[in-house]
Amino acid sequence: MSNELVKVTINGQQHEVEKGARLIDVCREKGAAIPSFCYYADLALQASCRMCLVRIEKMPKLQTSCTITCTDGMIVTTASEEIEKAQRGMVEFLLANHPLDCPVCDRGGECELQEMVFDWGGLEERFTEKKNYYPEKFLSPIVANDPQRCILCKRCTRVCDEWMGEDAIEAGGRGAGTVIGTYGGWLNCSQCGNCIEVCPTGTLLDATYRHQTRPWELSRTTSTCNFCSDGCQLSIGSRAGEVMRVVARDRYVNGINGEFLCIKGRFAHPFINHEERLRTPLIRYRKGGKLIPATWDDAIEFVAEKLNALRDEHGADAIGVIGSPRITNEANYALLRFAREVIGTNSYTATEAFSLVPFFENLSAPLATHKEIRHAQTILLIGGEPEELQPLTARQIRQAVRNGGAKLIIINRVPIRLKQQAAQFVHIRPGAEDAAVVALAARDGGGEVAARKMGVEASEFESVRHLLDETAGDIVVMFGGELSASAQAALAQLPATLGAREGRRFLFHPLPLFNNSIGVHDIGLMGDSQSGELTPARMLDAAGTELRALYMAGSFLPETLHGREDALSKLDFLVVQELFQTATTAHADVVLPAASYAETDGTFTNNDGFVQRVRQSIPPVHQAKPDWVITSLLAAALGVDFGYQMSASAAFLDMAKHVAAYEGLRYPLLKDESKPVQAKHAGVGSRDISRELEALRQAVEGLDETAEKLTETPEVGHELFKISTLTGKVPQFHLLAAGNPEPPDVLVSPLYQITIDTTLRREKMAIAGD
Amino acid sequence: MFIGAIGCEPLQLARVSLDGSHTLEVYRRNGGYEALKRVLAGMSPDDVIAEVKKSALRGRGGAGFPTGMKWGFVPKDSPKPKYVVCNADESEPGTFKDRYLMERDPHMLIEGMLIAAYALGSKACYIYTRGEYKYLIDIMDAAIDEARAAGLVGDKILDTDFACEVYTHTGAGAYICGEETALLNSLEGLRGHPRMKPPFPAVAGLYGCPTVVNNVETLTAVPDIIKLGGAAYQKLGTEKSGGTKLWAVSGHVNRPGVYELPMGYDDMEKFIMEDCGGMTGGKNLKAVIPGGSSVYVMPASDIIGKDVRMDYEGLVVAGSMVGSGGFIVMDETVDIFESTKNLTEFYKHESCGWCTPCREGTDWLVKVFKRIARGEGRPDDAQLLLDLCDNIEGKSFCPLGDAAAWPIQSAIKKFPEDFRRHLLPLANGDGDMKDGLPTL
Amino acid sequence: MSQQFTPHNPLPQEAKVPAEIAVFSAEVEAEMDRHLAKYPVRRSAILPLMFIVQRERGGWLDPPGVAYLADRLGVRITDIWEVATFYSMINTEPVGKYHVQVCRTLSCKIVGADKITEHCAQRLGIKPGETTADGRFTLSEVECLGSCGTAPMMQIRFDFHENLTPEKVDEILSTCERDEYVFKS
Ligand SMILES: Cc1cc2nc3c(=O)[nH]c(=O)nc-3n(C[C@H](O)[C@H](O)[C@H](O)COP(=O)(O)O)c2cc1C
Ligand code: SF4
Ligand code: FES
Repeated sequence: MSNELVKVTINGQQHEVEKGARLIDVCREKGAAIPSFCYYADLALQASCRMCLVRIEKMPKLQTSCTITCTDGMIVTTASEEIEKAQRGMVEFLLANHPLDCPVCDRGGECELQEMVFDWGGLEERFTEKKNYYPEKFLSPIVANDPQRCILCKRCTRVCDEWMGEDAIEAGGRGAGTVIGTYGGWLNCSQCGNCIEVCPTGTLLDATYRHQTRPWELSRTTSTCNFCSDGCQLSIGSRAGEVMRVVARDRYVNGINGEFLCIKGRFAHPFINHEERLRTPLIRYRKGGKLIPATWDDAIEFVAEKLNALRDEHGADAIGVIGSPRITNEANYALLRFAREVIGTNSYTATEAFSLVPFFENLSAPLATHKEIRHAQTILLIGGEPEELQPLTARQIRQAVRNGGAKLIIINRVPIRLKQQAAQFVHIRPGAEDAAVVALAARDGGGEVAARKMGVEASEFESVRHLLDETAGDIVVMFGGELSASAQAALAQLPATLGAREGRRFLFHPLPLFNNSIGVHDIGLMGDSQSGELTPARMLDAAGTELRALYMAGSFLPETLHGREDALSKLDFLVVQELFQTATTAHADVVLPAASYAETDGTFTNNDGFVQRVRQSIPPVHQAKPDWVITSLLAAALGVDFGYQMSASAAFLDMAKHVAAYEGLRYPLLKDESKPVQAKHAGVGSRDISRELEALRQAVEGLDETAEKLTETPEVGHELFKISTLTGKVPQFHLLAAGNPEPPDVLVSPLYQITIDTTLRREKMAIAGD
Repeated sequence: MFIGAIGCEPLQLARVSLDGSHTLEVYRRNGGYEALKRVLAGMSPDDVIAEVKKSALRGRGGAGFPTGMKWGFVPKDSPKPKYVVCNADESEPGTFKDRYLMERDPHMLIEGMLIAAYALGSKACYIYTRGEYKYLIDIMDAAIDEARAAGLVGDKILDTDFACEVYTHTGAGAYICGEETALLNSLEGLRGHPRMKPPFPAVAGLYGCPTVVNNVETLTAVPDIIKLGGAAYQKLGTEKSGGTKLWAVSGHVNRPGVYELPMGYDDMEKFIMEDCGGMTGGKNLKAVIPGGSSVYVMPASDIIGKDVRMDYEGLVVAGSMVGSGGFIVMDETVDIFESTKNLTEFYKHESCGWCTPCREGTDWLVKVFKRIARGEGRPDDAQLLLDLCDNIEGKSFCPLGDAAAWPIQSAIKKFPEDFRRHLLPLANGDGDMKDGLPTL
Repeated sequence: MSQQFTPHNPLPQEAKVPAEIAVFSAEVEAEMDRHLAKYPVRRSAILPLMFIVQRERGGWLDPPGVAYLADRLGVRITDIWEVATFYSMINTEPVGKYHVQVCRTLSCKIVGADKITEHCAQRLGIKPGETTADGRFTLSEVECLGSCGTAPMMQIRFDFHENLTPEKVDEILSTCERDEYVFKS
C-alpha cells in the first residue's frame, strides 16, 4: 500500500483515502455499514459470503467490497434497494439450511449471523423445505462441532493455516454438502481454539464451556494472560464468583493479539476455581508435623516472629526472599521492598527460568512490539521455539512472512516448525547457540571457528549477514534461553557491531517463558551483574549454611528443584505463598493461600515491554489474598507500613516512583488495552563489549564439535500440553498430553467416554448420543 | 451418429471420418503439422498472434472471448515460465464436440497447442481432460508419444530450437473444473474452486505464472488459421466471429451428431428440420437449448419461421446464446418443468460450494422443484423460484450461479403453462395464479 | 467441568494417521513417478495418483491408501481428505468391481435414461447409490458424460456403453455377472 491519496466518493460523500486501501475497510471507517462474514483483516481474501456487495459506477453488476481496492475517482453506493435486496437474499440463503433454534445454540447472544439477521434478515421465512442435517460431534477434547450451523466463511480454516501454520482443519465435500472437518473427523493440532473464536456462528464451540452459561449472564473483565511472555489481552467471563471462560473476541477486548489466544490462555483457566485450591493459611508448628489450617492473623504473627528471631540469630542475609515471574509487578515490588526495607537482606531473586540481566544491561535498541514484528522486513530468531512457548509471537512471524513478505532467519538446534516459513534455516549443534552470536558479531575472523563448532558452513553465515545487510527496514532480533550471559551482552550490542545503515533499524524481542518475566527484571528483583546475580538454584545450594529461611511467592521450578530435593528440608523456616500444594509447599512451615491473576488487580510486563493491566474478575476464592497484600501485611507485622491502604494502584504508584522503567506511569494511563504503554527501557547505546566478546570467543573455542545434530521436528504441543501445577488441573490437558486419543464415538465428549481404564461410559453416550 | 460439415468445407472435421484418423501418419498425409512447420520456418510469435487476431476466432469453451486478444494479454517480458492449458473438461450438458475432436484427430490438438505455445513463449502445455474421458487421455498420450518420436514434441521440434512438452492431466468428476480458474486450482492439486479475478490467468495463472486457457475446439482451429491465413479464416464466418463452429446436436432429431457449420449459418429451423433429419417420429418441435444447458431455452415459436442466425449475435437477438454449442432439441412430449428440474439438479450437484448464493440457492431450488414434482406445488412457487434465481444471478462468485438461474428464468417466462399445470393442484382457482405466475 | 476424570493415569497413545501404509509394486510406483514427473509441484499429481491408488486398492481410497498418498505427496492427511471429497469420481467408500454409472442429465433423460436406470436397478436388485450384497456391482446415477448424441448411455468404470436399450443392458450386465466382462480402459 502506498501513502498516495486518491478521491473516493461513498454515498455522495467524497473522501481522500490511501490508494489501494480496501474498499470495505474504507466504507466502514467512513461510517457506511457493510455486512460481511468471510472478510477478515489480514487473512487471505475469500469473497465467498457475498454479503459485502456494493454498487460501483462503471462496473457491471454488484461488486464485493472486500475484493476491491480504492482507485481515484471511484464512485461507490453502499445502500440502495438493489443492494439491500441482494443482502437480504444472502442472509435468507444462509438461513435456509441453518437451524433457527438460537435459544438452544451455545453461540446465541453473540452470534454474528443472529446479529446480521436482525439488521438484514427478511421478515417472513420463505424456506419451508427440509433442512440438511448433520449430527453434532466433537472434533477434539476442546472443540465441539455442529456442522449444520456452518455458513462456510472458512475463517477457521484460514486462521488454522495462516495464524497457526497447522492446516489441521479444512473444508471437505462439495456444494451444499461442504463441511468443515478433518480426515477421520478427529482434530490433531495445538488446540489453540482460534477456530472457535473466529467462528461467527455456533458451528465450532468451546467444548469445555458449552451449555454452562449464557454470554449475557457473564460479567466480563479485560485482563492479561498469565502464561507466556507475549501477554495476550483477554476477556474473563465470570458468573457468581466462578470463571466460566476466557475469550479474546474483539467485541469484548481489543489488545495486541486481536482474537488470538493459545490453548493455555483460552482453556487452562479451570485451575482458578479448582477444588484443590488452598483454602486457608496453613502452619506446620513443628518440623515433621502436619500443615494445620490457621487464621490469617495467627499465620502472619507466626511468620513475623520466626523471621525476627532468625534475623537476630543469623543476620539479615540468612533470610532469602524469592519473587516470581508469574505474579504481578506490584507483588514482586512489595517483595523487593520487604527484602530491602523490612528484612534488610541482599538475598533476593525470582524463580525465573533464565536471567536477562546481561541483555538489559547492554540493550542498545528498543524492544519490538508485536505490531512491529508483523511489519518487520527481516526477523532473526536465535534459539527458542515461539510456536510452543510464545504462540502470539509465532503468529506475528508467520503473518509477517506471509502477508508482509518478511525474511525469516532461524538459527536453531532443532528443526522447529517455523522453519517452513524461514528464508534461511541454520541448523546448528545442540549447545552451539553462543557460537552463532560470535559468528554474527565477528567483524574480523573468528567466524570460521564458530561455524565449525556449530557444524555449519561459514558461507551460511555469509548469507545471513547478506540478508541483514540488504535490509532497509526493521530487523527484529529474537532469542531464547539458550544464550549465555556474555552471548546476550554481545547480541544486545549487535546494532553497534554491524554498524548503522540507511533506513535500517534494529529491534529486540527476547523470548522469556513467563507472563511477567520482563517485569521481574525491570523491578530489579533479578539483581545486577555488579552485585552478582543470585539465582534460585544458588540459594537452594546455600540452604542450611548461609541461608536459613526463605520467604517466597510461588514455588521453585521443577528444573531448579531437580537434584536438590533435600535442600528445602535443610532450611530452618520456609514460607510459601501458593495457589496449590506443590513440591515446595510440601516442605513449607507456613503456606499462605494466594490469589490467582483472576482475583487480583495489578500489572504484567510482556516481551514488548508493554505494562498491561491485570484486573480482578472474581473475589479471591476461599481465604486467598493477593500476594502484594500478604507481603504488606507481613511488613506491617514487622513494623513497616508500605502505605498501600489495600489499594493496588497505590502499590503501583509507589513502584513507578522508584522503578526507572515505569517512571510516570499510573493505572489511568494503562486503562485502554488497545493502546498499550511501553516501559522505558533506556538502553545504554553502544558500549565497548570486547571483554564479553573475548570471554564468549573463549567459551566457544571450548565447545564440543562432536555433538550429534537433532533432526526430529518436535511434535505439536510438546511444550503447550505439558502438565504443570496449573494446566494439571485441567482434564483436557491430560488427554492431550496423552496423545489426544480419538474416542470410539465422537458424538459424546471424550471426557465422558474415556475413563482412566479407557473403557466407554455407555450410559452417558445414550444421553448425549442423539 | 452423424459427424461432418454442412454448408461449408469441413475444417475441424476434415479428417474425422478417415480410418486411422487418430494416427500421426494419416494426419500428416492430410496436411498435418504443415502449419507448425510454417510457423517455425518464418513467423515470429507476434505474427502468429496477429493472424489469430485477424481470424476473429472467439473462444469455443462458452465464454466466446476473442482468442487473439486473450493471447495478447500475456506479458511478454515476464521472467516466469508461461503455460498453455487446454480445457478439455467438456462437462456442459449437451456438449460432446471436444470428445470427438480428441478421439478422431488428437494430433490437430497437439499441433494447435504447439503453435499457441510458440506464440506465447511457453515450454509446457497441459491438457486438462475430465476424468470420465479416460479413454481419450490414453489416445492423447499415445498421440503425444508418437509426435515426440517424430520430433514434434520435446526438444528441437522440427529441428528448430523451439522446445515444448505436452502433458495430459486428468480431472476427477467436477463440472466446475471447466471454469478456467477452478481448472487451474484443480491442476495444482487443490479443490476445484474458482479463483478471484483479477488477476486473470493470462497474468497469474498456473503456479502463479502467465497462463492461457483455451478450449479444445479453439486450439484445434489454430492450425487452419495459420494455413488459410487469419483473414481467409475469418471470411468463413462472420465479421465478428470468424471460421466454423461445431454444434453437438442431441435430443429428438433423427440425426443427432456433431455438425460443423460456418459461423452465422443462416437458419436454425432448416438446420433442425433438414440437416439434422427432422424431428424423431415426426413429432412437433417444442423447445431448443442451443448452447449447452447454461443458456436460455428457446420455444419453437422463436425458431419456426424466424430465420434464427446461428452465431453469437444472431442467437442473442433470438433470446439465447451460442455457449458451448451443445444443441438440445426437445419435442412436444417434453415437460419443460421436468427438463428444468433435471438441469437444476445438475447445477446443485456441480456447485462447488464456495459462495453462498450458488451453494444454498441451488440446494433450495432443487428442494422446491422436488416438492412441486411431489404434487405439493403452491401458487406462488413460480414467483419464489424466480426470486431465488434473481438473488443468485449476478451475485455469485463465478458464472455457474448465473448458469443455474438462466434456464429457470427462461423456462418460466417462455413455458408458463408447463409450470402452471404443476402448480394448479393446490391452487384454488385460476385467479390466484395471476400473482403466482408472471402475467405475460 | 467433569471431575470424575482422574488426571494422573496417562491414556494410551493412539495413531494420528492410519497405522498401516499401503505398498505398491515397482511397476505401479514407476507409473506414479511418470505422473509426478509432469509437474513442477508434487501436489499437482494428486488426482492421477488417487486414481491409481483407487485402482490398486479395490476401487476406493482406503485408509492405508490415503496414508500413502499423504506421504508420497508430502501433504497433510487432511489435504488428501479435502481433495478426495470434492471430486465425484474419487471414492471414499468401497464400490463394486463393476461400477455401473447411468447418465441422468437432460439429453439422456429425454430419450429414456430413467428406463435404463430402472432396468439396471431391477436386474441388480439395488437402488441407485447402492452396492449389491456380494459387493460386485454398484449402481450410480451420474451427470452428463458427453454421450448426448448417442444417448441413453452408461459407463462401467471408464467404459462407455451408448445407444442403450434394455436388451443391450442385459447383454452387458450378464457378461459382468459371468465375470467375462473385459475392461477397455
Ligand atoms: C461453470 C463453467 C463451466 C465451464 N466449463 C467449460 C468446459 O467444460 N470446457 C471449456 O472449454 N470451457 C468451459 N468453461 C469456460 C472456461 O471458463 C473458459 O472460458 C474457457 O475454457 C476459455 O477457453 P476459450 O477462450 O477457448 O473458450 C466453463 C465456464 C464456467 C463458468
Ligand atoms: S457460483 Fe459459487 S458456489 Fe457456484 S460454482 Fe461458482 S464459486 Fe462455486
Ligand atoms: S466479505 Fe466480501 S464476500 Fe464475504
